[in-house]
Amino acid sequence: MSAINVRDLAPGTSIVLADGAEAEIVTNPGDGMWLFARYLSSPRDPTLVGQEEMIFAPDVVALGR
Amino acid sequence: MNDKRGYRPGLVDLRLGEVSREIFVNEHIYAEEQERIFARAWLHVGHESQIPKPGDYFVSSMGEESVILCRDRANKIHVFLNSCRHRGMKVCRYDQGSTPVFTCPYHGWSYGTDGRLVGVPYFREAYHSRLDKEKWGLVEVAQMHNYKGSIWATWDPAAPSFTEYLGDFTRYLDLQLDGWDGREGQAEVLGGIQKWLVPCNWKFPAENFSGDTYHNISHRSVDLAGIGPSGAGRRDMGERDVSRKLHVCIPDRGHQTIHYVLPAGKSPPPAYLNAPIVAEYFRHCEEEKRRLRGEEARLVGAPGEIFPNTALLSRQPRTMAVWHPRSPHQTECWRWFFVDRDAPTEVKHFLRDYYIRYSGPAGMTEQDDMENWNYAHAASRGTIARRYPYNYDQGSGTAVTNYEYQGLRVPGEVIDLTETQSSEQPMRNFYRRWAEFMEADDWSRLATWRGNERKAAE
Repeated sequence: MSAINVRDLAPGTSIVLADGAEAEIVTNPGDGMWLFARYLSSPRDPTLVGQEEMIFAPDVVALGR
Repeated sequence: MNDKRGYRPGLVDLRLGEVSREIFVNEHIYAEEQERIFARAWLHVGHESQIPKPGDYFVSSMGEESVILCRDRANKIHVFLNSCRHRGMKVCRYDQGSTPVFTCPYHGWSYGTDGRLVGVPYFREAYHSRLDKEKWGLVEVAQMHNYKGSIWATWDPAAPSFTEYLGDFTRYLDLQLDGWDGREGQAEVLGGIQKWLVPCNWKFPAENFSGDTYHNISHRSVDLAGIGPSGAGRRDMGERDVSRKLHVCIPDRGHQTIHYVLPAGKSPPPAYLNAPIVAEYFRHCEEEKRRLRGEEARLVGAPGEIFPNTALLSRQPRTMAVWHPRSPHQTECWRWFFVDRDAPTEVKHFLRDYYIRYSGPAGMTEQDDMENWNYAHAASRGTIARRYPYNYDQGSGTAVTNYEYQGLRVPGEVIDLTETQSSEQPMRNFYRRWAEFMEADDWSRLATWRGNERKAAE
């Protein structure tokens, strides 16, 4: 799987994370390393749903639906 | 005053009017300066107009340290060391911009604009969520002060407040930052910051801007070329011909300046006559200032220096500079250009052209200065050259206190240059303070004025 360039992702984009969670980008600081995103689902920890967290670029494995 | 007090024997001897070349070229003294001067003194960082919105930042310098001046999401201004707490990499490598976070490109630690550590890669997996993020935020300066929009900071929590540090020099910084029409704090930075390197010790420009009028002959060519706003001389400052020209030094603080005082009831002669819109604007401002400030409007600014490394030039051109030490033999000069924020666009454009014609790396007057600093430094580095001190004897022992001119009192030690043409009192004041900083272990010895104020009260 090729790495995703997170700098290209606009707010509102849905992303799939390495642990299977899905999140929606809220802010992209454009540093190529981090995204501010809100969890849409999180099989590992359902309490994260609705919360905003910083997502590290290597954790973004795919674009969501 | 005991002229021997606080002096390093053989380095700064103002009784003899001598300063050793070692303080300009010696690497050990330079290293000591970083700890004893730049880690303790108040230093100019930038201006709030450079970071108008939340998330805006400007990367500046405090001594050799890179620092970030920024405005956080809550609109609060901060100054942080530009170095990641994990492995020290710069977290911001741009000159200025806007961002929600400062991300270290090395391992990815990320900081909010309030300095808090907000992003740690593999925080859950590798740190097991145990890293105390509150403890590992960006290093913030010990004290920061916003003085009429100009941002100052010190690393020393024990340093006196900025206004106490300035003492009676406040009025000269006011001339820089207040409006031409006398309203408080109207200045804004015009355009970007000019930055350039000069192969000299930082104290060469610092002492030059302390009020070296003796080197005017160096600028003979720009006077002859007529780079001034109206094409004659290098400034339109007819007030110089009718004012008292003074050297004003604030003893115990190390701040000093050239200064003009107009005669009572006298307004500055018209200026900018080749540019009618600009001429009319300044005529209006002078009138307003007289109305708002009364007798204080008789004070006219000129080059000065706030110890250790901030230069003022409040009149023509209106600029500030900081002399960042980069090595004993190299200084990074930064120059800010100021206008009143609500001045007409035509006035700002006209002044921008004049400012850059005069100051900065391409400015013709500043080039004259750089030539002197560059070659004086180079010619002072040799083994033989170092044996011979510089002479600072000019006008020694002739300064007066309680100077008054037609009802206007000027605090500090004053030499009337209208009478003497030149003096080296400002340089002696600067190096006296330099020696005190280099010797004193703490502010109980550095805040010498507190004892003086006590004595005066007694």
